Amino acid sequence: MQQSALAFRDADDFVRGLSPFLEMGAYEWLWAQSGVTFEKLADRFRARPDALPSDFVPHDLARATARDVVATFAARGVQRFGLAINQTYEYPKALRDARHPVEMLYYLGSWNLVETNAIAVVGTRKPSPDVLTETAALVQTLVANEWTIVSGLAEGVDTQAHETALAAGGRTIAVIGTPISEAYPRANADLQRRIADAFLVVSQVPVLRYYQQAWMQNRSFFPERNITMSALTLGTVIVEASDRSGTLIQARAALQQGRKLFILDRCFHDPDRKWPHEYVRQGAIRVRDHAEIVEALRDVHRNR
Amino acid sequence: MFTAIDELLRPFYTHLTAADQCYFLREYTSGRGFAHSETNRLILNLKKAPDRRGLMEWRYKERAVEQVAREFRASFNLPRLRTVTLVPMPPSKRKDDPLYDDRMLQVLHAMDEEHQLDIRELLLLSESTTAAHASSTRPTVDALVANLGIDDAAAKPTPASIALIDDVITTGAHFVAAKRLLTIRFPGVAIRGFFVARRVFADETA
Repeated sequence: MQQSALAFRDADDFVRGLSPFLEMGAYEWLWAQSGVTFEKLADRFRARPDALPSDFVPHDLARATARDVVATFAARGVQRFGLAINQTYEYPKALRDARHPVEMLYYLGSWNLVETNAIAVVGTRKPSPDVLTETAALVQTLVANEWTIVSGLAEGVDTQAHETALAAGGRTIAVIGTPISEAYPRANADLQRRIADAFLVVSQVPVLRYYQQAWMQNRSFFPERNITMSALTLGTVIVEASDRSGTLIQARAALQQGRKLFILDRCFHDPDRKWPHEYVRQGAIRVRDHAEIVEALRDVHRNR
Repeated sequence: MFTAIDELLRPFYTHLTAADQCYFLREYTSGRGFAHSETNRLILNLKKAPDRRGLMEWRYKERAVEQVAREFRASFNLPRLRTVTLVPMPPSKRKDDPLYDDRMLQVLHAMDEEHQLDIRELLLLSESTTAAHASSTRPTVDALVANLGIDDAAAKPTPASIALIDDVITTGAHFVAAKRLLTIRFPGVAIRGFFVARRVFADETA
């Protein structure tokens, strides 16, 4: 077979290299095993920091699985996609700040946007008109200051953040909780397409696992992507969130990862709400004026 | 660590087949400037033309050479690399051209801290050409082969295997041309290509 002409992880070879096809297949194969979580996978790689996914999987199985992935994407109209794989130069070190770092991400669009100064804007899926208005104003301020707007493509605040960034001529990245071949909610399929065409859509969701299991089990991919979104950005702004909102997963991740966490003043107005005060105690910044965010981030611009 | 141009990436490279073993470190985005990415900065500094020599900006080229040498060193199994003949892809200008730029040879020498690597300028250019990245029309592989020669003075001893070293792989044509010529001279000798970056388009996967 000509494929075997590429030797990988051969101690006698003079090249230290990886095959993205093989690693994608190995990663997907690991995810197709029962009981696998981001935490369990991260534990395996923590124990062997130099390991690649293909070090844990027979290569013939990994290749067969990779062919399945390519076919699965193709059947849903995704002919070309990008991979960011740990230990390569295009994989951002910032992703290792996540509690359970991902070894591989899928993307559509211009990967280098992850190198820009990026801030996440997230919040409730059921916003009031006031919240939508404030989200738009916030994003306009951030775009005017050259920030890339990162969000999760969910309905509500996320959608408003992406749409406002596009309308304002800014850059926006969607970190989604489905594979790149799906859009959720469906109503955002066009928005996801526009972001992929002009900017960047990122997904850590294992494709074969996603299509093998039921929707209920796939729901956990949404909060997981918030952790990655935080790691990919220099800070997170929470526009509005209830006590039990998935948005708070990202708040905790931001604090744990040493990222700036901004909470808009409106979140403090409900006297029964405990989380804003708790996060301020842990280092979050209460924001009364959007310009405060730009000011607070002035010193954490990436070294470019 | 290098990334191989395997079955996932090969469709982007019209000239490469499964028999061509090419590897890269980074992704250089075509048509975008320095500010687009760290890799764009690295590549554009590395390619800075020799007529900038002596200017303040020249130090960025020297730093790019050093950075690439560091990253190559980290991505090769150095003790094993000693048995490989390292060949820089000839730049687009002949040695007698004022714009001759031996940046990949400089990278190889910077890599060779222990002076144990077999670095040979095996390939020579017959005529200076327009740099591939600055030209809209691309020569055929046949034309590229016709413009290449082998330096007999560097051909002995016969290499055990060859690593062709270049900055950016765009279509793979230059690699395929060099490999074809070297294979005629050294039948049966394995030839692989190593690149600082592969060329991508910003909307390649959109």
